[in-house]
Amino acid sequence: MKRRNFIKKAGLAAAGTIGVPYILPTGRLFAATGSRVVNHVVYVLFAGGIRNQESVGQQFLMNQNASLPEGNVMNNMLTGAAPSSNAIHDPWAPVLNTPMMEQGTLFKEVLYKNGPTGHYNGHTVAMTGNYTETGLNLNINPDFPTIFEYYRKHSDPNESAMNAWWISEGLGPYPSLNYSQSNSYGAQYGANYLRPQSILGNAGQSQLGNAVSYQPDDVNRINRIKNILDNNFAQAGEQLPGIQNTPENREQIKNFLLQKIEDAANGNLEVATPGNNQNLLTGDLINISAAWQVMDEFTPELTVINTTNLDVCHDNFSAYLYYLHRADYGIGWLWNKIQSHPVLANDTIMVCMPEHGRNLDRNNIVDANGLGAYDHTGDDNSRRVFTMIVGPDDKVVQGQALGSPNNPVAESIDVVPTIAHILGFKDSVPSNLMPGRVLEEALI
Amino acid sequence: MNRIFQLSIIFLFSMSILFGCKQEKEYQYVFEVNEENLYLSNVEKTKQKTPEQYISILYSNLFSTTVPQQDLSQLAEVRVSIGDKQMADEMILNDFVNSGNASTPTNQEMRASIDQFIEDTYIRFFLRKPSPYEVLELKQEIEGDAELTPEMIYQAFALSNEYKFY
Repeated sequence: MKRRNFIKKAGLAAAGTIGVPYILPTGRLFAATGSRVVNHVVYVLFAGGIRNQESVGQQFLMNQNASLPEGNVMNNMLTGAAPSSNAIHDPWAPVLNTPMMEQGTLFKEVLYKNGPTGHYNGHTVAMTGNYTETGLNLNINPDFPTIFEYYRKHSDPNESAMNAWWISEGLGPYPSLNYSQSNSYGAQYGANYLRPQSILGNAGQSQLGNAVSYQPDDVNRINRIKNILDNNFAQAGEQLPGIQNTPENREQIKNFLLQKIEDAANGNLEVATPGNNQNLLTGDLINISAAWQVMDEFTPELTVINTTNLDVCHDNFSAYLYYLHRADYGIGWLWNKIQSHPVLANDTIMVCMPEHGRNLDRNNIVDANGLGAYDHTGDDNSRRVFTMIVGPDDKVVQGQALGSPNNPVAESIDVVPTIAHILGFKDSVPSNLMPGRVLEEALI
Repeated sequence: MNRIFQLSIIFLFSMSILFGCKQEKEYQYVFEVNEENLYLSNVEKTKQKTPEQYISILYSNLFSTTVPQQDLSQLAEVRVSIGDKQMADEMILNDFVNSGNASTPTNQEMRASIDQFIEDTYIRFFLRKPSPYEVLELKQEIEGDAELTPEMIYQAFALSNEYKFY
């Protein structure tokens, strides 16, 4: 073979090898391009509006009065001594032996650069990777595509909704964040949405508690009769708005939810509290506990969850610290669970970020402990947040802390492209849709 | 007032009369519906029910009463708390049918009078009588499958395309 022909054929063979998908030992089919860092991402919107002072700043009560103690109330996520005295909340022992901060990279100073510092807007920015001006809690889908839509559309092959979940603590506008209004994306690429407090709580137990899990044969019976009826009617109903699972996935999810409703009614749900004590649950912890049930059952590749109880800080600073401590426990509990799961362990990266901060100055409300409250009206302090990225030590830089109060090292819009990079589809997304950058400093 | 609501009111009024005096054959209430108000054919159904209409009419069809306000509020909460609305509706329907409070004939009653059950069910859900062919089709299914229950058939009717229209 002439040298030129050899080189040409060798080159074509090499190109073919690179272009042809291959099967990893896990059984997953990958295109060789756009390789992944890990196969699972959990994005925690540690939301409700958290000031950096009480979180990564570990200043506890010292901003209320210089004579009051400082200290770390997030003993699962952060390294740092607990307050020397504590009159505010009953601290729980950490669930993690090693704080998450040491299991990854902490961007201590992250800028929420533009737009109103409202909860819905903050969530929208965090989940679309674009700053927006939506100031009101309008119950409408966002303009820009969400991380779920990017993930489902640009993964190769396309992913099902079973692999993407948005699990929120509250209702209001939050159910609208599982897909956008974008013509190129939209509901067909949206995530499964769930609000566990409703489904596992009174409403779900009252209205779904009698539903039964049908065996596949029974589902087939129902569908067979339905098909006969449909054959005798000329019209097909328009699809309901929103995401649609495949019939098989829908049955799986229904059976899962019915089992969890029953578990919750009987007090058998595994929950994120010390000793599995159901009486210690907060709304945030219910959400985190249910998110774990979803992850344990379906091992989704992209799960986004939030907390919101901390918004009590508008009128109760003591309760804000209480919920901060509890939510930290929940996040640590979730990370601990992931580490013991046969599929998720060593193949999951968790990203935590508040949707926005809170004001530097107190409002006029004082709680029962004489502590002043904080709103979030868009001052510079309410634009300060942090971002923590934790994961396997061969994927994520361990024990690294970056940034300082006057030196933001990332922006709120950077998490979406970072997740896109971790899950291997960033290069397929039109660059104009993701103005943020990949937080490569955190990744090996 | 459109036709479906007129029919629902007549239907509910008939329910209250019938349930008060015929406990032993409570699933045969449909004959109290004035036949003049039944659809003559399913081609008359051209408008799709809204999700709210679907749930409230379904509740009325199965429980023979209007939805209590608290239930309506919780049903709305459940529906908004699940992203896949088709799944939410199927779960709500499943709960209705299996609640033990829906007026549903037993399997034994259904099989003792299959033709009657089929006609009752068509009138109950579709507000029309079945054609002879429709009776034949469904009868064959019931007779050919001992494990096909009235609850499953009710769910199939409520999930059908025709039930989504009025």
